[in-house]
Amino acid sequence: MNGLGRILLVEDDPKDIDLTLGALAEYNLANEVVVVRDGAEALDYLHAAGNYRSRAKENPAVVLLDLKLPKVDGLEVLQQIRSEEELKLIPVVVLTSSHEERDMVASYKLGVNAYVVKPVDFHEFVNAVKELGVFWAVINQPPPGSLARSR
Amino acid sequence: MSVRALRPYGLGLLSVGAAVGVALASELIGLDKLEVPLLLFAIAATVWYGGPGPGTVAVVAGILCVDYFFARPRYTFVIDRADVGYFAVFVLFAVLVGSFAARRRRIEHELRRAHEELEARHAKLLDVTHDAIFVRDMNDVITYWNRGAQALTGWTAAQAVGKNAQELLQTVFPCPVEQIRAELLRTGRWEGELTKTRADGTQVIVASRWSLQRDAEGRPLAILDTYNDITERKRGENEIRKLNAQLERRSLELEASNKELEAFAYSASHDLRAPLRHVAAYAELLQKAASSVLDERSRCYVTNLLDSAKKMGALIDDLLAFSRIGRIETRMTLVSLGEVLREVLRDFEWETDGRDIAWKVGPPLASVYGDRSMLKLALYNLVSNAVKFTRTRPHAEIEIGCRNGASEDVVVFVRDNGVGFDMKYANKLFGVFQRLHLPEDFEGTGIGLATVQRIIARHGGRIWAEGVVDEGATFYFSVPKPRGQT
Repeated sequence: MNGLGRILLVEDDPKDIDLTLGALAEYNLANEVVVVRDGAEALDYLHAAGNYRSRAKENPAVVLLDLKLPKVDGLEVLQQIRSEEELKLIPVVVLTSSHEERDMVASYKLGVNAYVVKPVDFHEFVNAVKELGVFWAVINQPPPGSLARSR
Repeated sequence: MSVRALRPYGLGLLSVGAAVGVALASELIGLDKLEVPLLLFAIAATVWYGGPGPGTVAVVAGILCVDYFFARPRYTFVIDRADVGYFAVFVLFAVLVGSFAARRRRIEHELRRAHEELEARHAKLLDVTHDAIFVRDMNDVITYWNRGAQALTGWTAAQAVGKNAQELLQTVFPCPVEQIRAELLRTGRWEGELTKTRADGTQVIVASRWSLQRDAEGRPLAILDTYNDITERKRGENEIRKLNAQLERRSLELEASNKELEAFAYSASHDLRAPLRHVAAYAELLQKAASSVLDERSRCYVTNLLDSAKKMGALIDDLLAFSRIGRIETRMTLVSLGEVLREVLRDFEWETDGRDIAWKVGPPLASVYGDRSMLKLALYNLVSNAVKFTRTRPHAEIEIGCRNGASEDVVVFVRDNGVGFDMKYANKLFGVFQRLHLPEDFEGTGIGLATVQRIIARHGGRIWAEGVVDEGATFYFSVPKPRGQT
């Protein structure tokens, strides 16, 4: 990880990371992804603190956020992002295993941009991730202060 | 006539004699004419204390004494002409005083008797009430005791009157008795619960009301006690309190187990699905990447792997949905089942495109009180079953209707001419993961009907089915009619 990227993937499961990157690779988006493994690391990255002190302080174009995370869970990360002036405009997509209605309701209440339940069917998952990546990282005009497309 | 009855007569004569004696003696010291007032006083006193009989005797004796001792010529019964007027006036006054006194006495007597009768009637009235009522003086000595008090305590009025109330009843006060008395003297009343002991030694709890009676000058005179036996009520209250505590404990347990269930479902939703997704994903990647190097059998393995993972994903999703029906709260509104059915049928339009299905809807579905989304899911599952199990029919018939009879329930049925089922397995239709068909014939997780049953049960209704193999099946469910429509 070079500490720079337009997609921040917050995911603890290595297989999910592998599969998500694989799906994004189909659209040549994989090399623009920064992966962090828990909520605390995600916040460090966003604040350019801790291990990410040296990175250029610019916001990612989109955050792909798992909900069930060690240390600080996804909903807390989302809440933190939406409560900070610097971060609150970042598009956040929740990517989760859970069909639980309360998670969905909580996410939308906190102002999530999209809520995607990872389907068991892999090609559906690939399609979902691809569309998300393309929409948020490529088509969507990112808010000021975000990294411009590097290519 | 007894000596006792004669006494007033003697008293009458004695008082007349005394009046004559005093009058004669006073003449010796020069005081004349005292006999008339003295004798009239003696007559009045005799009538007052002795009654009409002795009074008459006193009047006659008084007249004779005046005639003999005082009318001139004195000490004879002869009356001088000059004293006839004096004598006549005396007779007149004696008779008048006697009769006035007699009348006054009679009135007094009648008044007293009327008063006593009234009191007796009051006492009888107090006896009629079931409440225990008694009166005690300021030293707690019982002066009145009604029949209710006797019934409550087992002591009769004769046993109780004259006794100290608190000693007789071994009263247990909830607070120092001085405090109660102080309140009684200050406010004129006191209310509270007291424990008393009956004549037979058993205890009784009473709701007690004390009222203070004061005399005309405002001095405390007596205390009126009213008791209600609340022993049973107390026992009932204790029982209710105990049951409530039990209920509370159980509901806490239930809440805890619900929480556990929810935690389990949440974890199943997250943690069980993740590895499954990975299995399916890598199987698919393998299929894509290595299908050219794999032989026919290995490709088949990968396909089965994928199928199983997907199947398990469907099972988990269905099971979670099923458990949600039991966990979430119902949102009850008046639901038009006809409208819900139209929405459900619209959902099936594309799925049944190309099939020959004769839909028959009617009689129209009624409105019921229930959770709309749940009822929609129930209807959806039933219609979905009918569509699925008529798939092998070149011409399918599906009928959905409502029996809105005189009963208290709305009964909805879904009938098809599909493969049907053997009635001897009817009890297995609604179990979780219970299936009556092979997976290669009809897909499914075996949770649809279990979900319907759960939904209907949550609405206080019933579900049942009739079927004949190869001829079709009819599923019925009942939901209570909205109130006021039965």
